[in-house]
Amino acid sequence: MKSKSKVVVVGGGVVGVSALYHLAKKGWNDVVLVERKELTSGSTWHAAGLLPLFNMSYSVGQLHKYAVKLYKTLEEETGQEVGFSVVSNIRLATTQDRMDEYHQYAAVAKTIGVKVNFLTPDQVKEIWPLCNTEGLIGAIQHPEDGYIQPADLTQALAKGARDKGAEIYRNTNVTGIKQLENEMWVVETDKGNIECEHVISCTGNFARQTGKMVGLEIPVIPVEHQYIVTEPHPEIQKRKEQGLPEMGVLRDSDSSWYMREERGGLILGPYEKGAPACYVDGPSHNSEFELFQEDLERLEPHIESAIHRVPVFGEVGVKKVYNGAICYTPDGSPIVGPAWGLKNFWINEGHSFGITAAGGAGWQLAEWIVDGEPTIDMLGVDPRRFGNYATQSYLVEKNEEAYANVFTVHYPDEEREAARPLRQAPCYDRLKNLGAVFGQKFGWERANWFAPAGVEQKDDWSFRRSNWFAHVGNECENVQNNVGILDMTAFAKCRISGPGAKDFLDYLVANKLPQKNGRVNLCHALNTRGGVHSEFTIAKESNESYYLVSAGAFQRLDHDWIKKWMPKDRSVSFENLTNSLGVLVVAGPKSRDLLKKISNADFSNESFPWLSARKIDVGLAPSIAMRMNFVGELGWELHHPIEYQNHIFDKLMAAGEEFGVKPFGIRAMDSLRIEKTYKLVGTEMSIEYAAFESGLDRFVHLNKGNFIGRDALVKWQQEGFDNKMVTLEVHDVTDADPLGNNAIYKDGEVIGRATGGNYGFRVKKSLAIAMVKPEFSNVGTELEMDILDKKNKVTVIEDSPYDPMNEKIRA
Amino acid sequence: MKILVTVKRVIDYNVQVRVKADGSGVEKENVKMSMNPPDENAVEEALRIKEAGKADEIIILSIGEEKCQETIRTALAMGADRGILINASDDVEPLAVSKIVSKVVETEQPGLILMGKQAIDDDSNQTAQMTSALLGWPQATFASKIEIEGNIATVTREIDEGLERIKVNIPFIASCDLRLNEPRYASLPNIMKAKKKPIDIKSAEELGVDVSPRIEHLKISEPPTRQKGVMVADVAELVQKLKYEAKVI
Repeated sequence: MKSKSKVVVVGGGVVGVSALYHLAKKGWNDVVLVERKELTSGSTWHAAGLLPLFNMSYSVGQLHKYAVKLYKTLEEETGQEVGFSVVSNIRLATTQDRMDEYHQYAAVAKTIGVKVNFLTPDQVKEIWPLCNTEGLIGAIQHPEDGYIQPADLTQALAKGARDKGAEIYRNTNVTGIKQLENEMWVVETDKGNIECEHVISCTGNFARQTGKMVGLEIPVIPVEHQYIVTEPHPEIQKRKEQGLPEMGVLRDSDSSWYMREERGGLILGPYEKGAPACYVDGPSHNSEFELFQEDLERLEPHIESAIHRVPVFGEVGVKKVYNGAICYTPDGSPIVGPAWGLKNFWINEGHSFGITAAGGAGWQLAEWIVDGEPTIDMLGVDPRRFGNYATQSYLVEKNEEAYANVFTVHYPDEEREAARPLRQAPCYDRLKNLGAVFGQKFGWERANWFAPAGVEQKDDWSFRRSNWFAHVGNECENVQNNVGILDMTAFAKCRISGPGAKDFLDYLVANKLPQKNGRVNLCHALNTRGGVHSEFTIAKESNESYYLVSAGAFQRLDHDWIKKWMPKDRSVSFENLTNSLGVLVVAGPKSRDLLKKISNADFSNESFPWLSARKIDVGLAPSIAMRMNFVGELGWELHHPIEYQNHIFDKLMAAGEEFGVKPFGIRAMDSLRIEKTYKLVGTEMSIEYAAFESGLDRFVHLNKGNFIGRDALVKWQQEGFDNKMVTLEVHDVTDADPLGNNAIYKDGEVIGRATGGNYGFRVKKSLAIAMVKPEFSNVGTELEMDILDKKNKVTVIEDSPYDPMNEKIRA
Repeated sequence: MKILVTVKRVIDYNVQVRVKADGSGVEKENVKMSMNPPDENAVEEALRIKEAGKADEIIILSIGEEKCQETIRTALAMGADRGILINASDDVEPLAVSKIVSKVVETEQPGLILMGKQAIDDDSNQTAQMTSALLGWPQATFASKIEIEGNIATVTREIDEGLERIKVNIPFIASCDLRLNEPRYASLPNIMKAKKKPIDIKSAEELGVDVSPRIEHLKISEPPTRQKGVMVADVAELVQKLKYEAKVI
């Protein structure tokens, strides 16, 4: 065994072995993998081996696409069979909402280049003659996926890795992981220690135990999953004898199960309600190839529906029921990327679809470790998308919920119920009494919209305009004409101070820092490749102190990014203020009149211009007022010590009565921001797009001196951009506005994708923000866009269709 | 004729058994359990005898904790008619099991008792023999074939020397070998129907059987791990090592 290596991968399931393989493939051959028992002995060995390309996320979709492509070539590369059966997969739909979901997904597939077909019930019958098509309205088919033998796949990746110089140590127990003063890691095992630069944790069911070795609470707890294998059925055997192809993987989404052929019989895998979390305190240290007691009772409704859908399934005996642990995370997506707060410790855990995801996760991790950045936007799987709120008890509830929702319709406005309410701003109850319908972000309850008196405080989720549409419209109208209040306490907030603060921040972001005390700038932190990593509102408090605000969902990500780049010489200090400050946004033409009534401060344009901040009193309470907002109206954000929130809230509501003050929610904000072409990290701005592609020209100053990503951005600019961000007007919309991820066409060819979309209530138009090829970005260009099952005409229009001259915000 | 089949709930044969840290027993928490494999042969044989029209009812008997109902349900899903569970602690020894079976026989009056030849957890291989003695019934152990004609059964036994065929009078006890048959798999509709079949639950005390153990467990430990092998250059070295190091020749 080596005592030194560049990287130690901990864990020899398919996920760990793939990470090792990809590092070796990138030319890092001094890498080793340590496995407690035998390869695959945790969860890989009992996986059903399905390779579902279907995923609603643009980024996860690309990872899956890569994996399927890789697995098809592995056998040729390594000489080791992987048992890839490209049998296609069909997802059935019995409701219109389900078809809407498939159409929304198909847009993702088209923009990342994954082939899908829509099938009629008769076409389903043709491919799957043993399927009863009663009640079906259609189906979506992936002709290019299927299933694979997980153990063979793991061995092939292992062989590929070894061939390139990597080493694998089986039956080697990791007993501790420590970081030295010089930032090197030492992985301690029962066979000796290995010193290394990087550690990758790929320990599956042991994720939390591994995390604890280095002080991390990794938000992974497995859930039990069962699948049933039957003995052969004569009908299926007959098909085989006749040389007919396998019928492929069948998914009855509305009944929450998958089925495929297995040695002349069938496999049924249901995702039921009530499957319990398992290994909550970790598996036994010597557990291997472990299964749990089956519980068919839990599966009964799914079994009945499966027998109804595929009658032969009930005609043969059950050979075996596998009940094994599958890792889960609160949102059902894996955790792939750098650990927060630790240098060169990488997490590749929480894989619920590990066979499919292993390829892409290993690929991007290797990019990240070797080149310093991933090439795919990894926000959807980034370890830092969860926070300290993800306690063990929270994980049990949320992960069980994620499991039960694997097959539910993934509505764009879906808000799941488990583990709520958790983090509440002080004004939560007040908002609730005013009709708020809440959603959850980073553990925080945030009002999405307000149900007026007589309307139930409940969402009716849909891919089309829903029960909340008209009410959100009224909220927008009130912000446009009167004044609205929005709780944004969930914002991530911090203070960067010290003698080195200015230089550090200047290097961190692409925009010029605010020069004078009390000035505010919108600044973007690029990654080293020139894409956008984070967006901060930066207010200069004094010569050595800056206040930074960013999106609530990215608190851990943004703060980790800051700390990662912060100089280690103590010239800069970081203070997280997220939980000690509340934020109330006051926006609308009457916001000045309202604030004047409850504050002695001067809110005139002369003394309080756009993009400035002042310490003021609101009622009796201290607050920092920042003249800016995300909705495009006259307005101020009030950042206050959190204990004053209700005092301020009550003052605003009471004084605002004569001005028609009303609260508004996140959904109204999203409509209002689209009308201003205000961009969001994760959609319009991401590491996949150069900052200039995202239209950030005004915020990037190449000449201000060096900053992170500057040189890469210049190089990118010289090489030319593939995309340009545009605002689109969508024509002939009846009941479904663009939601983002919609494919955009010119003459039938995909030339871009929508990143966001909404109905603009102030401009009374359906709008989208999109990334298109630069040659199609001129104002007036006519294009086409998929919205669910319809093709709509769209026109490129000027950015900020509402108040293009910004007269309102500067009023 | 009624057939009484005894089934035992044991750690699944695929599971790698782990000894508890304190040496008091083996780990059964969160471990997959299933029917003792030779007991499946016993159930299958009973079903075949009934399907041949030579029996009217198949009763499944299990002894142990509440969860043994799951094992009984497995047999009911295969096609047995009803179950009896005698609640007792998990580690009932063969003599106590034999006494309980004898008590059940008093009330049920079966013409045939089928058992697995031994359980894969304790490997005792005693219950059929002891029950036979307690009841005064003929025994046909390690059965690999059972043919019933009227009141007489011809049973083929797997013995060290080969196969032995014996004739026994009904009622008798047979312990079943794995070669007896290939147990069927229950279909899902039958598994669901089995939930509605009756299981009568009694306690060992109700039957007046003392199940307290007569064997004292001193210690349970893992078998010693296998030593790593060594490569030898030639036969001479092998002989040398066997003679002087291993001391086996």
